[in-house]
Amino acid sequence: MTEPLLEVKDLHTVFNTKEGVVKAVDGVSFELYPGETLGIVGESGCGKSVTALSIMRLQRPGKIVGGKVLFKGHDLVKNTEDEMREVRGKEIAMIFQDPMTSLNPVYRTGWQVAEPLRLHHGWDGKKSLASAVSMLTRVGIPSAAHRARDYPHQFSGGMRQRVMIAMGLTTTPAVLIADDPTTALDVTIQAQILDLLRHVNREFGTATMLITHNLGVVAGMCQRIIVMYAGKIVEAGPTTDVFAHPKHPYTWSLLRSIPRLDADRHEPLKPIEGLPPSLIDLPSGCAFHPRCAFRVDRCPRDVPQLQTVNDTQQAACWVTQAGTELKGA
Amino acid sequence: MIGPSRVAELDMPGAAIETTTSRPAQSYWNESWERLRHNPIGMAAGVLILIFGVVAILAPLFSAVLTHFQPQSVDLLATFKPPGGAHMLGTDELGRDTLTRLIWGGRVTLGVAFLTVGIALSAGTAVGMAAGYYGGWADDALMRFVDMVLAIPAIFLFILMSILIHPTPVTLALIIASVGWGNVARLVRGEVLSVKQRDFIMATRSIGARDVRVMIRHLLPNVLPVLIVAASLGVGQIILIEAALDFLGLGIQPPTASWGNMLTNAESYFYHSAWLVYFPGVMIFVTVLCSNIFGNAVRDAFDPRLKS
Repeated sequence: MTEPLLEVKDLHTVFNTKEGVVKAVDGVSFELYPGETLGIVGESGCGKSVTALSIMRLQRPGKIVGGKVLFKGHDLVKNTEDEMREVRGKEIAMIFQDPMTSLNPVYRTGWQVAEPLRLHHGWDGKKSLASAVSMLTRVGIPSAAHRARDYPHQFSGGMRQRVMIAMGLTTTPAVLIADDPTTALDVTIQAQILDLLRHVNREFGTATMLITHNLGVVAGMCQRIIVMYAGKIVEAGPTTDVFAHPKHPYTWSLLRSIPRLDADRHEPLKPIEGLPPSLIDLPSGCAFHPRCAFRVDRCPRDVPQLQTVNDTQQAACWVTQAGTELKGA
Repeated sequence: MIGPSRVAELDMPGAAIETTTSRPAQSYWNESWERLRHNPIGMAAGVLILIFGVVAILAPLFSAVLTHFQPQSVDLLATFKPPGGAHMLGTDELGRDTLTRLIWGGRVTLGVAFLTVGIALSAGTAVGMAAGYYGGWADDALMRFVDMVLAIPAIFLFILMSILIHPTPVTLALIIASVGWGNVARLVRGEVLSVKQRDFIMATRSIGARDVRVMIRHLLPNVLPVLIVAASLGVGQIILIEAALDFLGLGIQPPTASWGNMLTNAESYFYHSAWLVYFPGVMIFVTVLCSNIFGNAVRDAFDPRLKS
């Protein structure tokens, strides 16, 4: 495979709170290759958004306490704030969860979409606006020249998310980080936005990091996925393999807890017992062991590392690393 | 779960309907202005303040063309003239023309009021915005300082400052604003705390904008409505404070006229020349009332949720 575009190595991000130190990202490592779509999955509070924000160095008030973020071979963690601003919006763009609040209500949308161009290329209002309008057209905003004069409140949720995507793409960044871009939208609009992201990925060759808690979104979009639990990566691999035979009990349980069209319709869904652990006071050993159906003696004692378990997949689990298949009721 | 690519559907027929809505883009400011314009009492109050302001600015013109007197020209042959004749609103104990002094006094009083509001708003906004945006220790330090400023008994501070610094309109504005900015800082900080939670602030940072740009271009316009309301209501309060200071002899010093010190001066002659009290008193009363009415109208216009 080619050189990775973005390489996250043993990243640690913490938040100092009154209750204690929250280890939001606890030793996360992964690569993003040019042109690919990588999915990062996990439930709320597992550290996936903080990972994304840490890459952009926007994790404030959190602190990056260890690790590297190599972008085109250069460590972003060591960048000054000025150098970082050159990366943000120019090399790495980000779109957010809630399109209803991610546009400034007091400015016309065209002005906002053009803002990265004014910031990074120093273009004047007219030139940047023209470019913004053509980008709005490309993300499927009809009569973009007129719509660019409208204010955000005159757009629907799906349209606003298109505007956000256009804003991210104006400077043709190498990486687009989409932080749960579809949660706030209804299902049909979700499908349209995902189509757009897929289209963008193909047309612009932008490597996309898609963060979501929705396994369905990942299945249709990503070549590779990473599953996070309690600030750590518990499983990584090609999407088809991970879905067909998960190698971490958490992924295994997740997949059994969502409805599938091809499943026996009389079989009840199986929720994961218990609650995600507090990131301040993690369980000993493997953080998932209190909820795990495959727990062995070693699990509460030692922390498993992410290791290769077969040709394509990696998992952080004592059970599958020993070669056991995950099966059961 | 997600079907095959439907890129062709990006040009959705449904979306075309949306574009045919021909209503021109209405900004928040346009809509607020429309609401304000349709509030007759509020508009009347605003227009009255505007008229007072214009008259105050054009005071030299008015004394040349309308009254034909200078505010400090003494005429000992025409003291205590009741309203009427050459002196439309009468004269005081030194024969100075009341109308001329009212106009020039308005210049001082309104000037101090607007200057104070300007200073308090600028300083309060800067501090409140920095505290709210950066949070953490900066927030703690700045807001504890604000708490301290607001804990100083204002009247004693004013008295002390007036003794130490000779009160001119500019220093008086600085003295009053040195306390007033604290409340503005609190107000702005609260608003910033709420606005900065919204994703567009993070989105603006994510495109590589500096903190200063985020604050001035993106936060400020979103806290502006609160500031406009604070300013409109503030003018009235400050005129009252200033009048009180003048009345205590701590404000604008005679012979320079202000509505407050005209009132002080008139107090001794109330029984035989009551007009000397009435005119400056009425001016203060009307201006403060208008400021409050206009401030409330502005608040209703900018925050339609308040008006049920």
